[in-house]
Amino acid sequence: MELGRVVSELGLVPLGAADLGRGVTSGYCSDLLSDVLAHAKSGDLWITHQRHLNVIAVGKLRDVAGVVFPKGLCPAPDVVARAEVERVNLFSSADTAYEVAGKLHRLLHP
Amino acid sequence: MRWWRADLHIHSTLSPCASLDMSPARIVAEARRAGLDLIAVCDHNAAENGRYVRRRAGGNPAVLMGMEIQTAEEVEILAYFSDEESPLLLQEELYATLPDIPCDPHLFGDQVVVSEGDEIVRRVEKLLLSPVALPLAEVVQRVEERGGFAIPAHVDRVPGGLLVVLGLLPEGEWPLAAEIAPWTAVEEARTAWPGLAGHPLLRGSDAHYPVEIGRAWTELYLASPTLDELRRGLRGEGGRAVRPGPELKEEI
Repeated sequence: MELGRVVSELGLVPLGAADLGRGVTSGYCSDLLSDVLAHAKSGDLWITHQRHLNVIAVGKLRDVAGVVFPKGLCPAPDVVARAEVERVNLFSSADTAYEVAGKLHRLLHP
Repeated sequence: MRWWRADLHIHSTLSPCASLDMSPARIVAEARRAGLDLIAVCDHNAAENGRYVRRRAGGNPAVLMGMEIQTAEEVEILAYFSDEESPLLLQEELYATLPDIPCDPHLFGDQVVVSEGDEIVRRVEKLLLSPVALPLAEVVQRVEERGGFAIPAHVDRVPGGLLVVLGLLPEGEWPLAAEIAPWTAVEEARTAWPGLAGHPLLRGSDAHYPVEIGRAWTELYLASPTLDELRRGLRGEGGRAVRPGPELKEEI
């Protein structure tokens, strides 16, 4: 499914310019970046509370469709700036991680 | 110069998860039993017992002030200091940012400051087993600004290991070195985490019980067992060297 549709259906707020034409194939929830490096797949929408700069490196290495910070969390400006440079799509959501994941799953598997 | 045996990761009665037997007197006695020349007491987000361990030890073994700080990312780092004032000031700053969760001794264990004479000085109210509200880079900066030295604790271990939590070493100069878990073989760590290349590795016991003190250690080839020499040793200056002792056979 196109990222743009996921963003609008889930009410995600883009942090910076997002490539909304990307495909979202599945989702991944984890705050352990080593776990994400080992198990996230290209095209996953990654939901995490972790806001360290390494999120951008890991998101790029795994080629995720985007990163969603739940509960209205927002990373520091240097992280958002790096995401723009590395072309990693970042979003914030007012929902909890559980709600974001639930809505995404329902959208991808109606 | 000579080789010194160091265990730079020992918890005390101030860590809720550590045994109440980990008093300054007992730590010093066990460190001597284990033939340690240099130790550091690193309680969770707290440094206070280090001064009493130091007083009790009277130089045998040498004692660095220390802390195991849990950053906002839930990464644990070991911070070492020579003087007592700097870590105690930092401890206050960190304490102010801890969430207001009281330490229930039945759930978490006691958090007590104990003097060199085995007397309880005070109990710490807020649970120290929580992340401070400061990101990793900020914590490292505050440690270094106060003349301290920080390395990531047990980088390969859940919970709290930098590489497990953040996947990769952060960009930049820090860290100079890294601690690995007591049971991780050096080659295993270097194979699993290629980012450790070029970083000296240390091993500490992470002792929470008296018998664990000195179960894992690091050998340091230095002029003296001091923080400044440790720093120089980790940079390999003037023939100084650092080598982690053997890994424990089983994870316990």
